[in-house]
Amino acid sequence: MDVDMAVPGFHKVVPSDSKLEVIANDLLFGEGPVWNSKSGEFFWVDIINDTIWKYKKGVGRQIVMRPSYKADGLTFDLEGRLVVAGWAWRRVWRLEHDGSITTLCTEFEGQKLNTPNDIVVKSDGSIYFTDPSGALNNVEMHGDDLQRYMDYHGVFRIDPSGKVTLVVKDFVYPNGLAFSADESLLYINDTRENLIKVYEVNSDGSVQNGRIFCKLVGSEAGVADGMKVDVEGNIYCTGPAGIQIFSPDGNLLGRIKIPGHATNLGFGDDDWKGLYITTYSSVFKVRLGIAGLPVKIN
Amino acid sequence: MNWSFKNIFDTGKRPLGGMAWDSQKMLFADVNDNSIRSFDPSTNALSIERKYTNRVNGIAFGDDGALYGCQEGSRRVIRMLNDGSSTSTATHLLGVPHNHPHLIVSDRQGGFLFTDCYHPMLASGPQVFPMLKHQSVLRLHLGPRPQSHWEIQRVTFDTIRPRGVALSLDRKTLYVSDTTNEFGGRREIRAYPILEDGTLGPFVLFHTFGEDSKGIHRGAEGLTIDQQGNLFAVAGDNRSGPGPMVYIFSPAGQIITTHQLPDCIPTNCAFGGPDLQSLFVSTEDGKLLMTDNASF
Repeated sequence: MDVDMAVPGFHKVVPSDSKLEVIANDLLFGEGPVWNSKSGEFFWVDIINDTIWKYKKGVGRQIVMRPSYKADGLTFDLEGRLVVAGWAWRRVWRLEHDGSITTLCTEFEGQKLNTPNDIVVKSDGSIYFTDPSGALNNVEMHGDDLQRYMDYHGVFRIDPSGKVTLVVKDFVYPNGLAFSADESLLYINDTRENLIKVYEVNSDGSVQNGRIFCKLVGSEAGVADGMKVDVEGNIYCTGPAGIQIFSPDGNLLGRIKIPGHATNLGFGDDDWKGLYITTYSSVFKVRLGIAGLPVKIN
Repeated sequence: MNWSFKNIFDTGKRPLGGMAWDSQKMLFADVNDNSIRSFDPSTNALSIERKYTNRVNGIAFGDDGALYGCQEGSRRVIRMLNDGSSTSTATHLLGVPHNHPHLIVSDRQGGFLFTDCYHPMLASGPQVFPMLKHQSVLRLHLGPRPQSHWEIQRVTFDTIRPRGVALSLDRKTLYVSDTTNEFGGRREIRAYPILEDGTLGPFVLFHTFGEDSKGIHRGAEGLTIDQQGNLFAVAGDNRSGPGPMVYIFSPAGQIITTHQLPDCIPTNCAFGGPDLQSLFVSTEDGKLLMTDNASF
């Protein structure tokens, strides 16, 4: 496996003997990587092939849902239900344990959402999601209604009662989002500007004092898309060359070079030291030296 | 008869594209502004009809009253409904996505014919799907299953870069401008007979545009038909050749007359206004031109 070391200690994050393991290599557009700590299964989506997949070592790969209505970002809520940024279906929805679907949000202030892209659940049960409009335009990702109604690309919050609020609307194309370990900071990246912003999270779930945290590094193919944080506060973000890892103060630690175009990443395995990476065509796994923040299931 | 063209709208060089008359207003695509605008000749009002079109270019009304558009930025023909929503039609030719649709004409039987070209600007999203190996005129129509089952078929097998399409009044002739604006390229206006089974017979060449030491004579883009069935084409520019021009051909292929356009790079033409007597011309350099009475 090929890495760019920006600082000497990068091997602490990515051990020098780490290898790129292939989980899947026949996708049209991989996305939504998330680990289920209760079942020990890794979940992801193939947007264009309209499928939610899961994988377990020793069992292999199984279909969770097809069609998936061009689902995109995935996470689990505290009860272990799959929560989905519905992308071309223009909603945020939840897959219940009995297999039924609950719609959580389709519109805001009388306007249909754009196309929810990525999603994260806070420890209080509230759901944050980004809402760029890519699925309205992207070739072969379309749903039923292609018309954009909102004049902005927002980031929204669904509180535990179901109430939806606008968190920020000052992004060109908001995409990945992740909280710091203590949830005092919310990181949101912008695909078009290829940078990460960070906000202070208020007690009511709103945010303030947004600033640019870092710009992504390099001129290779790759853009800010999926993003996660590890237990030491380092930020992992897709970008030029593959995965870029930044220290809590925004300095580049190094880059993991990934074949193809990385779209998202998620931590997994029993110790949360597995890094699962989706690309257009593939799912890869890398073992890290540091654990990622868990996707908590009570 | 001398035509005088009024400049209705000017983007300042941002290309204007497809047009469609809605019985009161001329709709025209401001392609890279991602909007469809309109001009109402009875009030001179200019409006925005639709935003966020992702580079819709050619537009045409279908028999169902919906406006269909060639969404160059998403490689599909979309159906824009009166309530403001829009849906996709078929996107595949023989199982793979087609190219960037460019201009479109209704077959007045529920279907459409559109030109399907390469485009220097990439379509939105991941570049997963390669272009077709050909640029052709494609037919979009509802398949045998009732409702909402669009199909696409290839109808030309000998075009290099089809740009404009028009259908004769009796629906028995398909007019195509096949235009590559490079030395040694092809710049032709062709008339294909439409056979009983919907396929095309060998074409008749109506016109060809040349080249000389000053450069290529810019070929035809948009085509349209008047109420007598004459074919209107716009072509040319001021760099070489006879200049920006409207050409009028009889159904038999004779040039009836030509009309000089003001200095512009014309891309499309369409009839509108009271009694459909006004000819509108959109241009690559961002103008919407209109002549009140396009009689000759």
